[in-house]
Amino acid sequence: MSAAPTPDNGLSGLTEDEALAMDYALGALGRAERKAAELRLVGDPAFRARVEQWQTLLSPLDEATAPATPPASVWAAIAAETTAPAPKPAAVAAKAAPAAGWWHNLALWRGLGIGAPVAAALAVVMLAQPGAGNDPGGDVVAMAGGPQLRATLAGADGKPLLAAAFDPASGQVRFAPVAQSDAGAGKVPELWVIEGSNPPRSLGIIDISAGTAHSIPRDRLAGVKQGAILAISIEPIGGSPTGTPTGPVIATGALTAA
Amino acid sequence: MSASAGAAELSRLLARVAEGDAAAFQIFYDRTSAKLFGVILRIVMERQEAEDVLQEVYVTLWRKAATFDPARASPITWAATIARNRAIDRLRARPARPMVPVEAAHDLADEGPAPDAGLVASHDARRLAEALSLLEPRHAAAIRACYFEGVTYDELAARENVPVGTLKSWVRRGLLRMRGQLEASEA
Repeated sequence: MSAAPTPDNGLSGLTEDEALAMDYALGALGRAERKAAELRLVGDPAFRARVEQWQTLLSPLDEATAPATPPASVWAAIAAETTAPAPKPAAVAAKAAPAAGWWHNLALWRGLGIGAPVAAALAVVMLAQPGAGNDPGGDVVAMAGGPQLRATLAGADGKPLLAAAFDPASGQVRFAPVAQSDAGAGKVPELWVIEGSNPPRSLGIIDISAGTAHSIPRDRLAGVKQGAILAISIEPIGGSPTGTPTGPVIATGALTAA
Repeated sequence: MSASAGAAELSRLLARVAEGDAAAFQIFYDRTSAKLFGVILRIVMERQEAEDVLQEVYVTLWRKAATFDPARASPITWAATIARNRAIDRLRARPARPMVPVEAAHDLADEGPAPDAGLVASHDARRLAEALSLLEPRHAAAIRACYFEGVTYDELAARENVPVGTLKSWVRRGLLRMRGQLEASEA
């Protein structure tokens, strides 16, 4: 094999998306690239289909891995967190994190696994009251300037979690309000924008609690445009320490013209 | 129990889990947890951590059961994929550290298909093992290292002392050939 870079190395015709799909399915990406790919999985069904094809192709490899019986304590813990009859909220809170509230629940939604009942409830709360609270006009009114953009941010299961409206004239993103939002538990929501296959770029820590507007610094506005994907992850207070999402991604959605 | 009969039964269980059926969830756990724990353990290596990941995975499965679509994946592939991804996430969240002792480096060419052969059971697994065995050994070994150990391209390239671009092309070429092989043997 030649040591020099080979122009035709058996990879001609391999698209960037296909390469990313196989890299992700194989599990060979670093942390930031994985997060970026996971955000695309949510917002891009064609990409997700590619990844799923590779996952299915590779999955028989798992048969070469010896099964291992987990200790009974694991099932006990799982049952306590899932099927146990009506756990007291206090007990749940004590188990996972030293705080309670809405964001505490979000933090429990590991990765893209979003609690269906909670998600459904939020969707009702948020979508039934677009622009309520601080915005008596109902919908956000377009200001003079560029066209308004909207995104419905949904969890991995496709259920809408949040409605966001972006006004390019003011550089503000407004979220439909969420009741009882509590960013305690040492966690805060952080907003990201993803263009194409670029890594997520932070738009800053946000407060989506009361439909308040969140202003995006001018120098970060460049990628916030139609087709880009907005995503929200749960981060330590102060925001992601690494510059890419480190906590669970709770919702993503593509920006479209309002 | 044949693979497809098992898949059909697991799919039925998941449908009940989606409706909050605790008994179905426990049966599903009993049928699948040893496989998933094996997959996780192989990647994260440490037992306590693997148990944490397993717990996280089944809580996710409970919550996401309604999103399982039998038309898109078999139930065990779906569950094992979630397990692998959580295990890899756990690995990536660790502080950087050497993945293998130095003396274990440069062993890619020495690995062959043999470690898998004895355990391979299903038709699909045999076909995949065969497709892998037809690849250049280094390419097959790199694919195995990524899949089973959860190493990144960067880590594996450093371990093998080759440029990352070279390693990526080994793996991607190998995967494409493997897929071509599988498609050809299907036809």
